[in-house]
Amino acid sequence: MTDTITQGVTVTKTGEKGAFGGELLTVNFGPHHPSTHGVLRLIVDLDGEQVRSLKPVIGYLHTGIEKQMEALRWQQGVTVTDRHDYLSPPINNLAYALAVEKLMGVVVPPRADALRVIMSELTRLSSHLVWMGTSGLELGAMSMLMYCFRERDTILDMNEEISGFRMHTSYIRPGGVMADATPRFLEMLDRFIHDMPGHVDEYENLLTNNPIWRSRTIGIGRLSAEDAKVLGATGPMLRGSGVAWDLRRSIPYSGYENYDFEIATSDMCDCYGRYLVRIKEMREAVKILRQALDRLPDGPVNVDDRKMLPPPREELETSMEAVIHHFKLFTEGYSVPPGDVYVAVESGRGENGCYVVSDGTHKPRRVKFRSASFVNLQALEQMSLNHMIADMVAIIGTADTVLGDCDR
Amino acid sequence: MISEPLIVEQGVSAGDHWVTVGSGSIRDALAELKKDGFTLLVFLTCVDHLADSSRQWPARYELVYELRNLEKPEQIRVRAFIDGDPPHIDSVHDLFPPANWEERETYDMFGIIFNDHPDLSRILMPDDWVGHPLRRDYPVGGEVVEFSEEHETWQTPPEKA
Amino acid sequence: MGVEALAESLGRNILTTTLGKVVGWGRGNSVWPAQFGLACCAIEMIATATAGVDIGRFGSEAFRASPRQSDLMIVSGRVSQKMAPILRTIYDQMPEPKWVISMGACASTGGIFNNYALLQGVDKIVPVDVYIPGCPPRPEDLLNALMILQERIKAQGILPQQ
Repeated sequence: MTDTITQGVTVTKTGEKGAFGGELLTVNFGPHHPSTHGVLRLIVDLDGEQVRSLKPVIGYLHTGIEKQMEALRWQQGVTVTDRHDYLSPPINNLAYALAVEKLMGVVVPPRADALRVIMSELTRLSSHLVWMGTSGLELGAMSMLMYCFRERDTILDMNEEISGFRMHTSYIRPGGVMADATPRFLEMLDRFIHDMPGHVDEYENLLTNNPIWRSRTIGIGRLSAEDAKVLGATGPMLRGSGVAWDLRRSIPYSGYENYDFEIATSDMCDCYGRYLVRIKEMREAVKILRQALDRLPDGPVNVDDRKMLPPPREELETSMEAVIHHFKLFTEGYSVPPGDVYVAVESGRGENGCYVVSDGTHKPRRVKFRSASFVNLQALEQMSLNHMIADMVAIIGTADTVLGDCDR
Repeated sequence: MISEPLIVEQGVSAGDHWVTVGSGSIRDALAELKKDGFTLLVFLTCVDHLADSSRQWPARYELVYELRNLEKPEQIRVRAFIDGDPPHIDSVHDLFPPANWEERETYDMFGIIFNDHPDLSRILMPDDWVGHPLRRDYPVGGEVVEFSEEHETWQTPPEKA
Repeated sequence: MGVEALAESLGRNILTTTLGKVVGWGRGNSVWPAQFGLACCAIEMIATATAGVDIGRFGSEAFRASPRQSDLMIVSGRVSQKMAPILRTIYDQMPEPKWVISMGACASTGGIFNNYALLQGVDKIVPVDVYIPGCPPRPEDLLNALMILQERIKAQGILPQQ
């Protein structure tokens, strides 16, 4: 077994006869392969160049995140949630924060909710931009990478302005957000919202009617609506098959019910349909950002609970109680009432949920991440059967799995 | 909904409805729910209640199935408690295809045997791994960090160092 | 052309140096990394290759898909116990001379994940030349590490000491 892994692409003959008179070949694809979006390994049975069966092998990026969370205190866990789906850190933070808040019965102030929505949508944009850049690169449109990463860098600069960190912001925490938005952040956001629709037009000019892009994606990787539902697919995989299911609309959280946006769907059921869904989602995300910025309420960004969040810096110098709370919080942490809760949020890939079990202590008993990539990847075989092996690249690309999310 | 004789206990935890069923009737319970429109298995996992004194637990391992009705939308959590070494429970991969990998993951991480699963093998850890990492009696592992409480020289008194 | 004139024109066009310096100069300015992404840092590695930061200014824009054609491995992200033997094989497949950059806290030390699943530092299985701190490091950090590595390669001469 190890021999076939280590040799990269190894071919063995299975002895079965294929439809074209030849024998079926078993080909190992990955885990070190430039087009598998990380360390995904596929074992493919090929008849000529056509895929007859496919078995994904995962776990090459297993990080032990769930075990690590059990060893950390409730407020420390936020930093770990950042790193499991590393293309959408604030959305992971949000799932965890909402779960802990729901267990504790805490409601965050409206400004915190609005900032959470802003960060979620910015992240969705940057996640889709990385997807489009790398998928374009794999299918021969190298300039897409340059254009998409240009806008992604603008978003990361905003992340840095609001949280001090480019990628793993840890910005959304149980009880609110890390800090209030700075005036410079709001200014940058305003400019970004103004520019972004033009950039999306640019991407569409490059890809939507591009004959190479169309011929490599239309009719490739078909997944019917029934199959998508049965296989539990979520996110653009499901919406690309024409099912209008979006957690932001169906089970709203963080005040998404107050925003006016459309659920992007496409009836094409193929790679091109999923591409159209993501383009539409980017436009809708800009719309949500505009509404959130225009209606950004004033007020605090954290719950007023000294047992849960540290006191403000200036209070530490004058108040003895603030020092005690600060000390207690950073040595012992807070405890969460016993019980369990599941909260799901819509990430760029689908339903990212967090199932939290508390036994009443200052550390979680169990944290389970329901990751969209893990479930969506099971639909890969259904999508790629009887396609050419070269089309696998497009199919893996538009499934948009993040292996960190999948293996956790 | 689940018919009355199958239900052992039910309640609400932080706004989420849950139902406990006997471990032998998990397939019947989930099949009934599926017939009622709960067609999506959101996730399947296990919780290890080893040495948890916050409540009285019927058994060490609690299996959690979260189901969703996409039409309503409505969610329900089904629990089943199992014990044993290794613990056994029926597989539901034919009712809900996403359960295939979730059950493999639960086997990998907790060592729970799902009866009649087509390919119950490790999915996240290497094939030759020993132990089931997410059990509470499995150490977190890793390395001792310098200047931490676990570090050997940190604990050794100066006269013995 | 007289002998003096010839000597003078040769003097203007000929440099004398050691072979080691020339080879080091050539190697140092054309380091080809293996296209080998693991986790979060891989995204920043891709960002380093794009127009904004442009690793091509330092002669390293040619990310090779095959380890046989590359001489730098950027370990970009956490290495799990399952991935470790594969990473070592890819390193073994690279031709000599070869160098390794350990990008980010997870690759260097395991980072915040001090647990059973991760290799606590990639230097346990491959020799590392430059470590980059950060989680993930900025693209500029990767460029800085590349420049440090280039200086080292240039100083090594014909036969790099591994």
